[in-house]
Amino acid sequence: MKNPRMILHLAMGVALTATTLGVAAEELLKFDYWPGRENAIPHVSGDEKFSDTYQYWKDEKAIEQAKKAGKKSHEMNFKDFRWAQKSFDAEPALEIGKGYYNQKNANGKSCASCHGENGKKLEGIYANYPSYNKRLKRVVTVGTQIQTCASERLGLDWPETSRENVLTDFYVASLSDGKVIKIDATKPGPIKKSYERGRDLFFKRAGHFDFACASCHTPPTAGSYLRGQRPTTFFGDAASYPIYHFPYALPGDDYEYVFTLQHQIKSCQMLSRMYPGKEGSPAMTDIEVFLKASANGYKMSIPGAEYNMDASYLD
Amino acid sequence: MKLDTKRHYLFVLALAGTLSATAVSAANAEEAPKWVPGEPYPTELLKNYPCHDYELPCGKMNSPPVERVVFKGPLQGDAERGEKIAINLRWGNCIACHVLPNHDGGTIGPSLRQYAARQAPLDYTYQRLWDVRYYNPNAHMPVYGPNKVLTHQDIVDVMTYLYAGK
Repeated sequence: MKNPRMILHLAMGVALTATTLGVAAEELLKFDYWPGRENAIPHVSGDEKFSDTYQYWKDEKAIEQAKKAGKKSHEMNFKDFRWAQKSFDAEPALEIGKGYYNQKNANGKSCASCHGENGKKLEGIYANYPSYNKRLKRVVTVGTQIQTCASERLGLDWPETSRENVLTDFYVASLSDGKVIKIDATKPGPIKKSYERGRDLFFKRAGHFDFACASCHTPPTAGSYLRGQRPTTFFGDAASYPIYHFPYALPGDDYEYVFTLQHQIKSCQMLSRMYPGKEGSPAMTDIEVFLKASANGYKMSIPGAEYNMDASYLD
Repeated sequence: MKLDTKRHYLFVLALAGTLSATAVSAANAEEAPKWVPGEPYPTELLKNYPCHDYELPCGKMNSPPVERVVFKGPLQGDAERGEKIAINLRWGNCIACHVLPNHDGGTIGPSLRQYAARQAPLDYTYQRLWDVRYYNPNAHMPVYGPNKVLTHQDIVDVMTYLYAGK
């Protein structure tokens, strides 16, 4: 080979090679965390320290005004189409979820037996999840809660990766549409700890490419076009999850194109070549706590329309 | 595909040196999945890199050390192959973030059209492609070299395509 490359594994201290070639030895630098971790706060307004676009999408009115003023989608951190608009295409999936909610087991019991007709007693709860489950002694997502309830109360096997679980989750979330998200991650306790662990995972470099979640979801990448995708900051988006994600689905899933936050995290991991986490695992739950708390103060919007069919940004 | 003669040579040496060890690793190699550039990356292999988990060993791994590399040229790669690598989603995928010669792309990184006009030294470009962290620890770019996303020959071919591109 005419042009041999010479790799100096500086960190491993191949001092002899380095000296021979007259290259000064350099210190080992570890870049385990993407920058910005210390600026994250558990409230949607925390976006001000990242993208400086919060004023354009903090509520329906702000979005409307920014659009009128001619702000383009990418100038609004791509938040303009992530919220407020409802997805009518998702209605059938919600109906299926409601069906599972009312589905009776052999003893004639269903979710509705305890939680009320039409989910009466579950209204608003999705805005406060993930939550600490005292009996299980851990923080749980709604998916984990449904799995536990189904197996313990109804004798049904509804793991977090099952169609029944995901679609019931979607239905339960719709009962909190319009509710303001509130995950108390400032009071000392298990939720605060979970938030901090989740934040650290979000900023930790991982995978084949050595990216962090934050690599795409903080500026300058957030707000730029990533091929056909439109990465945005991590604030506020959790308000529209589970999301109706047509035409996308995870390999092998059968959830009517519904993505819970757990599936979204997994999908992101797979796209950026990281070893995908298991839905509801402690680490994945921590990431969800971080994302949900980063939407604190924002209104839930279920079923939200995620996709922006407006192509005027191409002009 | 071009044969990497240096690699080949090393492989022959290893084969001669440790016959028994080679036999064992060959048996393992049959079972272990192998990534074919351009194909989906086998999930099992991702456990070799840092991950988001508290139980698995990959959850405790750190980023690979920064690698300083030297490339003096001359640049005599295969531009056509370089273009294929640059636009393939499951290979180099430069197009995800960069506008490229003959191709529209993302807006995250700078446009790489007319790259030669920048008069960037070969060594500089090679280092950026191998391990960007040497120049910018926070650049949003895969660590192509240290994590074996691209080989030396792949990078030389991509560079040949970029420097020749309009």
